[in-house]
Amino acid sequence: MMKTLRWSVFVIAVLAMNFPIIVTLVTSFKSARELSVNPGLWIGQPTIENYLRILTQTDRFNIYAYLWNSTVAALIGTGLAILLAFPAAYAIAKSDVGRRTLLPIVINLRAVPLIIFAIPLYMMYQWLGLLDTQLGLGLILTIVNIPLALVILVDAISDVPLELDEAARMDGASSWQIMTRIVRPVVRPALVTTFIFGFITAWNEFLFGLMLTTSRAVPATVGASFFFAASGGGVQWGTASAVMVLGALPPVLLGLVMYRQISGSMMAGAVKG
Amino acid sequence: MTIVRRSEGRVFLTPLVGFLLLFLGFPAIINLVYSVSTVTFETLRAPTVSGFGNYLAVLADRDFWRATSFSLRFGLLTAIAECLLGLFLAVFLAPLLTKRPVLMAPLMLPLMVAPAMVGLMYRLVLHEFAGPVPYYLFEWFGDSPAFLDINNAFWTLSVVEILQWTPFAFLLFYMAYVAVPNDIREAAALDGASGWKVLWLIELPLMLPTLVIAFFIRFIDGFRVFDNVYALTGSGAGGSTMSLSIYIYQAFFKQGAIGKAVAASVVLFLASLAALYILNWLAGRRRRS
Repeated sequence: MMKTLRWSVFVIAVLAMNFPIIVTLVTSFKSARELSVNPGLWIGQPTIENYLRILTQTDRFNIYAYLWNSTVAALIGTGLAILLAFPAAYAIAKSDVGRRTLLPIVINLRAVPLIIFAIPLYMMYQWLGLLDTQLGLGLILTIVNIPLALVILVDAISDVPLELDEAARMDGASSWQIMTRIVRPVVRPALVTTFIFGFITAWNEFLFGLMLTTSRAVPATVGASFFFAASGGGVQWGTASAVMVLGALPPVLLGLVMYRQISGSMMAGAVKG
Repeated sequence: MTIVRRSEGRVFLTPLVGFLLLFLGFPAIINLVYSVSTVTFETLRAPTVSGFGNYLAVLADRDFWRATSFSLRFGLLTAIAECLLGLFLAVFLAPLLTKRPVLMAPLMLPLMVAPAMVGLMYRLVLHEFAGPVPYYLFEWFGDSPAFLDINNAFWTLSVVEILQWTPFAFLLFYMAYVAVPNDIREAAALDGASGWKVLWLIELPLMLPTLVIAFFIRFIDGFRVFDNVYALTGSGAGGSTMSLSIYIYQAFFKQGAIGKAVAASVVLFLASLAALYILNWLAGRRRRS
């Protein structure tokens, strides 16, 4: 009895919270003709014509370019964040600098609305010629990713036993060697988690993509909205749905494969933040 | 703890600090300078300092206060609802989830989708001709409300936000819930405490820090909301869904009112510093007690 109730609550919660995703997935397999008479949740005649259209007609909106821009910018934003945060996390965990000032400031960045920095960054990018470039977007995504990367890595490196460091010191290893040859392999799982989490966050970012890109470096989140700007005959719902499915797929797949690691790092980020 | 020398530690911190200064410190200074200057897109590199006019203009702007009110109401309502729903799901579904951890995946799925995409998806879900919600409402009840008009837009957006982010609160609460040591639970049960009493007197107090943290995180995220609101209504319905973030964005990009947008940024920055200060003070007090 209680068990049935729990299952019902589970199913209802999953359906309600995933409702827009389900609707979009269903709509993406409907033809325009079917959609005009059947906006419901079943599909009369499934078709992949929407996917074929966006994958072959790329003259006006190029889905490949949006996905590619998101990939490159997210990789820069994640890779650079880890490159910057890893040595810093090592210093914070193994010496007594940075723990009292830098760490709290960076952690609190998570809670600062980044739009505050958006306008000066826009002007700065204009001077530097970084507007509408993948690199420019990637650099901002680095800022977005740094707080959580630092928290997760400080946490992981603090757990590395000091005996390992000391033994390596005895053998004459420098701090740099200890960091790259001893600590890095030990905290590998944390590095992977940071990467996955950062990639998802970066891929899903919207505000800076909207402000800092216009055509060449548009990411998928912004590109998807172009398909909603009605042109003449109104929004092509089937096509727009297919675009959203493809645009949402990379982070969703990563997330589903790595959901255990992600739940752990969310907890770490929240409790330490 | 101090296996690395201080001087060496500083070297390891340098790249991160340099990057942060360049991408956040420098913009913060530009913000402060431009907020007390007269500046247009034509004179972008040559602002003339002109006092606190921009701040006065922001504080006298009815839209600014409207946006502040929207952000506050939106942040509070969604944070409370997400925490209550998340807490219920975490406690009620825990017996299922501890046995089958894979059930976590569909519950976490909404967190993986970009909020901007979710906003776009709801344009479809709620569309009067192509959307299933109005379709079924017409089918079953013969009527469907205008979800995005001036009366309903706030509530619609709140529900959209709540449905996407309840999983976040749920996840934190679930992990705090399963972290409660089982022997405490069993000891209480041996003493004859009912399930409710164990929840109320033992489990919830132990989860309290997580509840407070989740509430603050969700409030801050709701307060600074941009993506899903912008994608779904674009501040529409007569400006009734303009959040503070959208206010700043539009002042800059749509009106070209750079000074005003920057001054509003500084105000928002000070407000979030104050909020963070309170949060850290609370956390510090908890640690001491």
